Amino acid sequence: MALESNSRYVAEYPALAPELPGQNLPWLQQLRKVGLSKFSATGFPTPREEEWRYTNVSAIEKKLFAPVLDFVSIQPDLQAIDPSWLKEHQLEESWSVVLVNGHFSAELSVLDDLPDGVKVVSMAAALMALPDWLQPYLGQAVQPGEHGFVAFNSAWFTDGVFIHVPTKQVLAKPIQILNIATQADVLATTRNVVVVDCSTETTLIETFVAATDDAYLSTSVTEVFAGENATLTHYKLQAESDKAFHFGGTYVKQAQYARFTHHNFAFGGLLARCDIHTDLGQASECDLNGLYLGVKRQHLDNHTRINHLKPHAISREMYKGVLDDRARGVFQGRVIVAEDAQKTDSQMNNRNLLLSNDAEADTKPQLEIYADDVKCGHGVTVGQLDEKSIFYLQSRCIDEETARNMLTFAFANEMVDKIKIKSLHDKVLEQVLFRFPQEGVEKEWL
Amino acid sequence: MSASTQEINNLINQTYKQGFVTEIETDTFPVGLDETVIHRLSKVKNEPDFMLEYRLKAFRHWQTMKSPDWAQLNIEPIDYQAISYYSAPKRKEDGPKSLDEIDPEVLAAYKKLGIPLDEQEKLAGIAVDAVFDSVSVATTFKGKLKDAGVIFCPISEALRDHPDLIKQYLSSVVPTGDNFFAALNSAVFTDGSFVYIPKGVRCPMELSTYFRINAANTGQFERTLIIADEGSHVSYLEGCTAPMRDENQLHAAVVELIALKDATIKYSTVQNWYPGDKEGKGGIYNFVTKRADCRGDNAKVSWTQVETGSAITWKYPSCILTGDNTISEFYSVAVTNNRQQADTGTKMIHIGKNTRSTIVSKGISAGRAQNTYRGLVKVLKSAENARNYTQCDSLLVGDKCGAHTFPYVEVKQPSAQVEHEATTSKISEDQLFFCQQRGLSAEDAVSMIVNGFCKEVFKELPMEFAVEAQALLGLSLEGSVG
Repeated sequence: MALESNSRYVAEYPALAPELPGQNLPWLQQLRKVGLSKFSATGFPTPREEEWRYTNVSAIEKKLFAPVLDFVSIQPDLQAIDPSWLKEHQLEESWSVVLVNGHFSAELSVLDDLPDGVKVVSMAAALMALPDWLQPYLGQAVQPGEHGFVAFNSAWFTDGVFIHVPTKQVLAKPIQILNIATQADVLATTRNVVVVDCSTETTLIETFVAATDDAYLSTSVTEVFAGENATLTHYKLQAESDKAFHFGGTYVKQAQYARFTHHNFAFGGLLARCDIHTDLGQASECDLNGLYLGVKRQHLDNHTRINHLKPHAISREMYKGVLDDRARGVFQGRVIVAEDAQKTDSQMNNRNLLLSNDAEADTKPQLEIYADDVKCGHGVTVGQLDEKSIFYLQSRCIDEETARNMLTFAFANEMVDKIKIKSLHDKVLEQVLFRFPQEGVEKEWL
Repeated sequence: MSASTQEINNLINQTYKQGFVTEIETDTFPVGLDETVIHRLSKVKNEPDFMLEYRLKAFRHWQTMKSPDWAQLNIEPIDYQAISYYSAPKRKEDGPKSLDEIDPEVLAAYKKLGIPLDEQEKLAGIAVDAVFDSVSVATTFKGKLKDAGVIFCPISEALRDHPDLIKQYLSSVVPTGDNFFAALNSAVFTDGSFVYIPKGVRCPMELSTYFRINAANTGQFERTLIIADEGSHVSYLEGCTAPMRDENQLHAAVVELIALKDATIKYSTVQNWYPGDKEGKGGIYNFVTKRADCRGDNAKVSWTQVETGSAITWKYPSCILTGDNTISEFYSVAVTNNRQQADTGTKMIHIGKNTRSTIVSKGISAGRAQNTYRGLVKVLKSAENARNYTQCDSLLVGDKCGAHTFPYVEVKQPSAQVEHEATTSKISEDQLFFCQQRGLSAEDAVSMIVNGFCKEVFKELPMEFAVEAQALLGLSLEGSVG
């Protein structure tokens, strides 16, 4: 059954291939070919692979999603997008790139007065106009062989965004990539390349939302190249529909002194997996933050890999999960310190809160260290709210339920409070409150 | 610091002192493994028929299995047909009745190892079962233990004398097909210890088994089964050594512990198999499956291990917390030097209510060694109020070694509290400086800091073993300090 849908994707590929962007680029064709052959050999990952141990994607394989081939076919959908709904998700005070069902929409995007030299172009357009700019980067931060989804994405991607920020450019406003799904059973496959040159400052926001309640599959791979001394802050808000399947991978290469800060908010989707892999150059820094809130039958998987390749790099990681109903949260974090990477300083933390009898948390933090002069640690907890804190609140005349809600909210809010952009902060908070609409948490005092 | 610098230097300059070979006549099977070997083995050991069936079943299952490759270990493929599966000191027809009949060379070998088998020379009141290659050569204090109702004998004897207990408990914790090495062990295990502590009995002395590999080209397949009946208490020690040889030898053991209601088992290991030379030539491959089952309510199992030897260690002493209010502890020090590789840790499976487990693991990696902690904490839905605390620290000595931590935490019960903490660092310059500034040499300082690092685990060991373990630590880090 599972193999059937995989092989149907493969069987339909030859018909689809001519429609995909970048037909005239031999290097890209090669990349797609490698992706295709890997995918046809192994299909989507299975729990037998160590990195997918806790996540079974066979539900995706039971369905067959169809790629939206050309932009023309989604035109009717654009009419369907309510402008006020769109406004809710499009951040004010930002440059916004809108991808509908895996295709760039120039009409919805807001890219006025970008500073000179800054490129924010759709992937399809960039492959036409700027192939030489893309060639050194596309497929370089992650190999198609990484796993089935990356292979699939490499072969099938229809569009995406290419962002280039030239040396010493400090962007005044964030760039938002807004991914919207509008139809049932759609397959949105996007590939983004983000190049931030030396000494730049950039804020990038990836948002995944849906204008439908149905099931669809969105796979998005983002390759990031941070030049020397570049600062990149990356937010990812995943608020897909309740029935959606989501795979999002961000693969980062940091040159020396580069700083990468990531905030990951995994709220939506029936089955969602998020990969963050980063290769650290000398004395670079990365700070990964994550919050996953699972309700109903959601399965949220967070996978991080920090590769300390060079000395003096610093990495920090903090992931928190709140799991209710029958939800299952997975955290797999891996820190690898290469032989050369002396003076590495790394700290990883994962905290899970289980709210119901049927919720489950699986966590696997890993340290793999081949250098000796290092300071590495990790901590994991799975548990429930501190009884003493509840008692304290009760002793202050707050009933138990309210106390629990307040503490649960505070647990999650710590991650939300780290967001530095006001409008995004409010949107994320809204999502948190939407998922845990307890009475005790009054919006006024937030 | 009690030992002077001179003593430390002596200690550091010592080599593997248990590396001698005892020249004795042996009965050794030709190399190779097939069903006829198992038939012969079962016959030599004069086993009941059900055991032959058991072994053949395990062997047939083993043939369908593949050697596990998930561990962070680099293992040369092992040719299972190039090993002899049985080697025993030649003995008279009926086997030795008393110490006088044991080959004096064997006795001398144990004496040299500091394990006197002569009851007059009492080793601080510890009963010893001495296993030499494939057979148990002597068990001390049998009489005294019998008075208390305790059964402590070689497992081959238990197969004949206590078939009911064997049938009830053997493989009830580690099924024959559990894993590749456990299946192999079930098919060809030769000897080991069997302990049964009856209801309400507190075992009057420490029990101990001393494993010695002597013959070349043989594998040692040890099987230990300890049953603590309701309300009983036992403390068991295990020690291991082997001669220095250029080729790798295989040691694949299975240890099963069963703690019934209110029983307590404390199991301590000081593993000092020959680790191979500086270039990684020779040494024992140590593939061990150890598992305990806290079957009754309020039972308690405690594992303490000091792993200093073996070229390769693949060992995960685990505990299944089946009964309510059961407790399990795991304390481990794993030291690897030169080209040793260790992938060790534990599994705690919480099933019963109010179950508690504690894991304290200390890894020390020096030279070009790789040291991995791999642990699983699993809390099932039924395990209300389960509690786990895990701490694993790694210390790196030298810049070519590796230390890895792979914990798995799976929780299906919201009232459970699971904590895991791990750190990896080298000996801090500040600590070293502080000690040196107080007049200690660099070596003294390192030795002191390393011992302090392991103290939490050493204090769990019985007295005699704690002393031995500290000495071993100095030995294993030889040449990597200062």
